[in-house]
Amino acid sequence: MGAESESESGSGVQSIDPDDVDAADILGSAIERREDPALLTGDAEYTDDIELPGMVHMTIKRSQHAHARIEDIDTSEAEAMDGVIEVFTAADLDVPGSLPTGWLLDSLEQVDHPILAEERVRYQGDALAVVVAEERYVAHDAVDRIDVDYDRLGAVVDPDEALDDDAPVVHDDAGDNVAFDWEIGDAEKTDAAFADADHVVDLDLENQLLIPNAMEPRAAVAEYNPSNDELAVHMTSQNPHLHRLLMSGVIDHPEHKLQVRAPDVGGGFGSKIHHYADEALVALAAKRHERPVKWTATRTETYLTDAQGRGHDTHAEMALSADGDILGFRVDTDANLGAYLSTFAPAVPTYLYGTLLSGQYDIPAIHCSVTGAFTNVPPVDAYRGAGRPEASFVVERMVHLAAKEVGMDPAEFRRRNFVGEFPYQTEVAVEYDSGDYEKTLDRALDILDYDALRERQREAREDGKYVGVGLSAYIEACGLAPSELAGQLGAQAGLWESGLVRFHPSGKVTAYCGTSGHGQGHDTTYAQIVANELGVDYDDVEVVEGDTDEIPQGMGTYGSRSAAVGGSALVKSSRKLVEKAKRIAAHQLEAAPEDVEFEGGDFQVAGAPDRSMHITEIATQAYLAHDMPDDMEPGLEATSFYDPDNFVFPFGLHAAVVEVDPATGEIEIERYVAVDDVGNQINPKIVEGQIHGGVAQGIGQALYEGAEYDDNGQLVTGSMQDYTVPKAEHVPEMETDSTCTPSPVNPLGVKGVGEAGTIAAPQAVVNAVCDALDVEHIDMPLKAEKVWRAANAATDGGEN
Amino acid sequence: MEFDGTFGLDDVTTEEVWLALSDPVMIENALPGCQFLVEVDDPDDVDFEALEEAAADEENPPTLPEADPEDVAERGLVEGGHYAALVQVGVGSVKPRFETVVTIDRREFPEMDASGQGSASDSSFEMDSGMTLVETENGVDVEWWTEADVFGRVAQMGQRVINPVANRVVGRFFKQVQKELSDVGDESSGLRDRISNYI
Repeated sequence: MGAESESESGSGVQSIDPDDVDAADILGSAIERREDPALLTGDAEYTDDIELPGMVHMTIKRSQHAHARIEDIDTSEAEAMDGVIEVFTAADLDVPGSLPTGWLLDSLEQVDHPILAEERVRYQGDALAVVVAEERYVAHDAVDRIDVDYDRLGAVVDPDEALDDDAPVVHDDAGDNVAFDWEIGDAEKTDAAFADADHVVDLDLENQLLIPNAMEPRAAVAEYNPSNDELAVHMTSQNPHLHRLLMSGVIDHPEHKLQVRAPDVGGGFGSKIHHYADEALVALAAKRHERPVKWTATRTETYLTDAQGRGHDTHAEMALSADGDILGFRVDTDANLGAYLSTFAPAVPTYLYGTLLSGQYDIPAIHCSVTGAFTNVPPVDAYRGAGRPEASFVVERMVHLAAKEVGMDPAEFRRRNFVGEFPYQTEVAVEYDSGDYEKTLDRALDILDYDALRERQREAREDGKYVGVGLSAYIEACGLAPSELAGQLGAQAGLWESGLVRFHPSGKVTAYCGTSGHGQGHDTTYAQIVANELGVDYDDVEVVEGDTDEIPQGMGTYGSRSAAVGGSALVKSSRKLVEKAKRIAAHQLEAAPEDVEFEGGDFQVAGAPDRSMHITEIATQAYLAHDMPDDMEPGLEATSFYDPDNFVFPFGLHAAVVEVDPATGEIEIERYVAVDDVGNQINPKIVEGQIHGGVAQGIGQALYEGAEYDDNGQLVTGSMQDYTVPKAEHVPEMETDSTCTPSPVNPLGVKGVGEAGTIAAPQAVVNAVCDALDVEHIDMPLKAEKVWRAANAATDGGEN
Repeated sequence: MEFDGTFGLDDVTTEEVWLALSDPVMIENALPGCQFLVEVDDPDDVDFEALEEAAADEENPPTLPEADPEDVAERGLVEGGHYAALVQVGVGSVKPRFETVVTIDRREFPEMDASGQGSASDSSFEMDSGMTLVETENGVDVEWWTEADVFGRVAQMGQRVINPVANRVVGRFFKQVQKELSDVGDESSGLRDRISNYI
């Protein structure tokens, strides 16, 4: 590869051919992703690529109303069609058929979530009936011939409105539409802080509902073997083991006879964590007909049924001293949960949100209360960042206003209030592992040439141009842990990860991990980790993920946990394996194990350079088992279940420089600077790619995206023509840089990067636009009309 | 969703427009994609398949000016009457067949209000509509409005798609009405006089 400089700013990371990297440097090198050739050439195998002999196709009849009683479902015309094998409804099911909630809160109102609606539909897209047909297009035509009689009911879309006394009731068991009330922090202490405050700023802000838009729609292929009761489900999953566990209950199939396998998965952003009705219906259809069954969501279906993200209405208040110290922070949020409780929905606006409200700041008193509301939109659950973007948005918008209120520069206001000592115990339960917040701030200000930028802003304003600078000092929490704590908080699953590292007799290695990558580059990064630990060639390490039949157990990929938790499990297994290999080496080299040193794959007797064996030789010896230490079993492999002691807390400073045209409301992002500290980097190119993608998604939320419903709960942004996913032309050049503050929590010192950009970007852009126009707030997405109105209200001297 | 507009018809009288827009046959002929429009007794129990078969076998009677104004008045919309229609409209990538039932809620010359709903396999709508005829220098302005709730696949495409479709349907409808009425205007004034007798 040529080593041309990649961008004018010089901040791009250059990728390297792994053959050009010394073995000792493989960990931390920006090597090319080994998964890319298959993805780029079309050799990758997505679920919809799977063709099995005798395979039939499935489609799902979905409710056209957001809220209605079902009076009748007439399937006769569909069933009479040539090529239709069966049409079934809830009445035909003989399994539990109710989707479970994976995170419980004390006050949680658990409601039934049937895989096929029987009496009532609660969102547009709720599943009503299933068609199984010989051909895909017959299955689609047949769905349109199912006749449903609805008795339409009033619908509610907004969480605030759902909590009104006269709102339509989504679930009779939760007559007030309240799914839970939750709080964190110290209300009394916070009240006292506000009583002592010299200044208080307050703001109402909305974090709009987003539609995930993974490039590959959800899909499943199921095959059933009646002679041994084995059921295999190939599906677009971020966590096959979790899907296996949950689905086994939903469809009443023994877990050990259920295989869930994720082939190549084209993005998830959280939307492929959750257990939906659809994949369970595919599995049931395969069992009913003893033939392989395929279902692939249309793009319309993904818009209607993929769990959405965000959906917060928040009132926030910040108490300040006269000289600019944050004294207290009070946050009250109504969170939209949609029509049912999706898999991890209760955790997202609570423990993944309230616990991050200290941001990067030493805030002595915080109180947050959250009400989860049922509405007639699709279930809302984790979406890239999951709770943490919502928290960071509130914190950084309030800090922006607070700096203005006390008349300080926003950078200096942040610096004054930063947490300085680590570990740091926040007022909202979590303890930050490590950090150096001034360092990312200083680096970003340096890249921006901040003082000159502010000068230019003043000059531009005199010329009638509206330039703004927005800062976002974000923090996120990755690698949720430990399991014991999560259990106390309501998790219905552990948060460990398992990794198996296996030497083959020839000296080659396969590493198995219970995470399940879907675009993150795990095949590359895990191989880097294992090659480094074992001292073997990077090319000699193969990585296997995403198949419950191959990997003992696992928790999947979400919440930027894979490197911190999965990677650490592989480190732990590698080290166990090296320990065993060392004892074999010592035995065969006739030395005491404590006298054998391990470096770069070689076991060497201390002080005797000619007495050494490479670990690949030991592997052969371990399987020959001709000359093993007493009581040692043959073979060379190790499995670990790694359960971290704490979360890890990556952080950074993102900044946007915008110019706003008050005549048109148009926004141009002139510069976007991202300085991130994600701890040690296994592969800086992959880290950079994650930041790029995350920032693009964050800018998408800030400027373009948003699920919109009419008063009847009808989605009016139900296609890519109506819902703007940012395209290349919408995303600015990014200037990326990083600092490195290793995490003390895990053996790799890594912190997680999968969501950082999405968490940081929205408020960087909104702060910049508000700075440009000198307005208090504009709700996202910052579409031209809203910006124009704010700009013109401001220039008229009025409030926005 | 709300739609409204004004459509100017030249060289016609309010009475002629009133009679024309009260004629189910004229409406059926002028409305794009309308397979049939007939009066029904029970709005909750309409056999659209039977009506469609019957409509296919029958040829529509003449409209004005060929028709006898007395016949047109006889078959005209009545207040409280229910009318069933099968309408197929292309909306974006889909072409739903709406089984539609409309009730005339109010009919007081020169104003008329109607409400109705339609359903297709993947979409449906509910609407309230009204019109007022206003005499102008050149003829008559039809001021019309509709409030519609749209559900299902059609709704998902949003106003971006629905608005142009609605405007196209309304535009074509009135153009056709204008065409038919201009023939009425060409007739002897006797027809005009006879028409005004039926208001």
